Amino acid sequence: MKKSVILLFAVCVLATAVFAQTGIKKKRPLPHEYGRVVINNFSEQAGLPAVEFEHWLHRSKFTCRLCHVDLAFAMKAGGSNIRAADNAKGFYCGTCHNGKQGPGGKKMFASCSVPWTRDDLPKCQRCHSRGKAVKHEYDFDTVTAKFPKERFGNGVNWEKAENDGLIKLIDEIPGVSIPRPPMATVKDFSIAPAAQGIAEIIFSHKKHTVWNGCEVCHPEIFIGVKKGTTKYSMVDIYSGKYCGVCHGTVAFPLLDCQRCHTKPVQQL
Amino acid sequence: MHAVLGTILCLLITGTAFGQWDLPKNLPPDEYGTVLINRTSEKSGVKPAVFSHWVHRRKHTCRVCHFEIEFNFKVNTTEITEAASKGGRYCGTAGCHDGTASFGHTEANCGRCHTGSRAADQKLFASLASFPKNRHGNGVNWVKALEKGLITPLTTLTIPQADMSFDKRLRLEAEWKNIPAAVFPHEEHNAWLDCNNCHPDIFNIKKKTTKHFSMVRILSGEFCGVCHLTVAFPMNDCKRCHPKMR
Repeated sequence: MKKSVILLFAVCVLATAVFAQTGIKKKRPLPHEYGRVVINNFSEQAGLPAVEFEHWLHRSKFTCRLCHVDLAFAMKAGGSNIRAADNAKGFYCGTCHNGKQGPGGKKMFASCSVPWTRDDLPKCQRCHSRGKAVKHEYDFDTVTAKFPKERFGNGVNWEKAENDGLIKLIDEIPGVSIPRPPMATVKDFSIAPAAQGIAEIIFSHKKHTVWNGCEVCHPEIFIGVKKGTTKYSMVDIYSGKYCGVCHGTVAFPLLDCQRCHTKPVQQL
Repeated sequence: MHAVLGTILCLLITGTAFGQWDLPKNLPPDEYGTVLINRTSEKSGVKPAVFSHWVHRRKHTCRVCHFEIEFNFKVNTTEITEAASKGGRYCGTAGCHDGTASFGHTEANCGRCHTGSRAADQKLFASLASFPKNRHGNGVNWVKALEKGLITPLTTLTIPQADMSFDKRLRLEAEWKNIPAAVFPHEEHNAWLDCNNCHPDIFNIKKKTTKHFSMVRILSGEFCGVCHLTVAFPMNDCKRCHPKMR
């Protein structure tokens, strides 16, 4: 009996090894799918569809820093272990989505902020929409129609959209954010790649601080005390560390090699 | 009982995984690399659209369509729609089938792509007759044609190509002792492709960390087989990669 169990297990392992496709090109997400995060820590256990969070909608209104620093959202899907009770108490999504006036002056719908019954399901599906045909208030094509276009990711040049004033990013929530004086931007710098023959990397602090302040990246992702202290490679980046924390999931994807491996820094 | 079931399952799995990796049937040279796109065509009442790689690779490198214009590498996986093309994406990208650079998406032109057949324009194919020969594929040695300047494909539409002078040649030892090593030249590939076309999805970038990189898997469409079974010179041409093979 024991032997057959082991054999069956071996078959399963073998099957996974055989069918795990490695050497093929992945399908690219469509512009509106890029940056979509599925959160399913407790949803399906509670009998609800998983939450689909669209970065494109929120980043057209808020800085990354606001949610990922001030509201303490983790940088990895499911990393915050958000419960309905947390939202109801005014943490995470519930900071803004509390049924009151939100940070842009708009009345916000309440997220999990009242005890819910099965009759509330249609309301819940506003966020708990995985696998449901939900018609959302904001449509990707309509919202992004006037934004400057760019290849890859959402197909939107977010940097230019912000620079041109097409989007005005909110960076503070009264009562939650700590008001801070603006910081002087640290200069751009170059990073020499490990492999010979690959163009040097120019990193622009200026472009990053608009969205991230200092705290999104330092000191957790990059210790940032002295240039060269954090050692990392392209392999690390591709596996979701360092630059790969954002670039590859939300910020422009890593397939755009020359956007970083370029000298001088690419202009808008 | 379980053991018997397990063994049968095991055999079935290995059978499906390793049993059928015969080289695909050789298509006639003028149809090699020609795909029929039928993701939604027939469902929408039009014939499948024909796309011929050899027609396009004379004027554009792989990079232009598979990097800049974001065509996936597998037929019917890119969500090409009439609206997307008319809106300037995919086939309708500015500088391509936009009505100026090449024929656009007008009603009169539907039938130029939606032919439902792989049949090639014979007059156009005859124009390749003067190109360096190759025994397989399109019968054309595209690498030599490019080197000799017989074709000057565009490498970019809007994103200027970065410095692609990375010319490292890799020596890939074969799995079997009696097979000579394969040689991989970056330079010849860079002439057509962007780094990202191959890295890191198909090949990892750290030496020797690409897993399961075996001939069986290549022949079943992974790794080199992503291109070298369908568009780039096919793998009947053993010597082209294993130069010391007799």
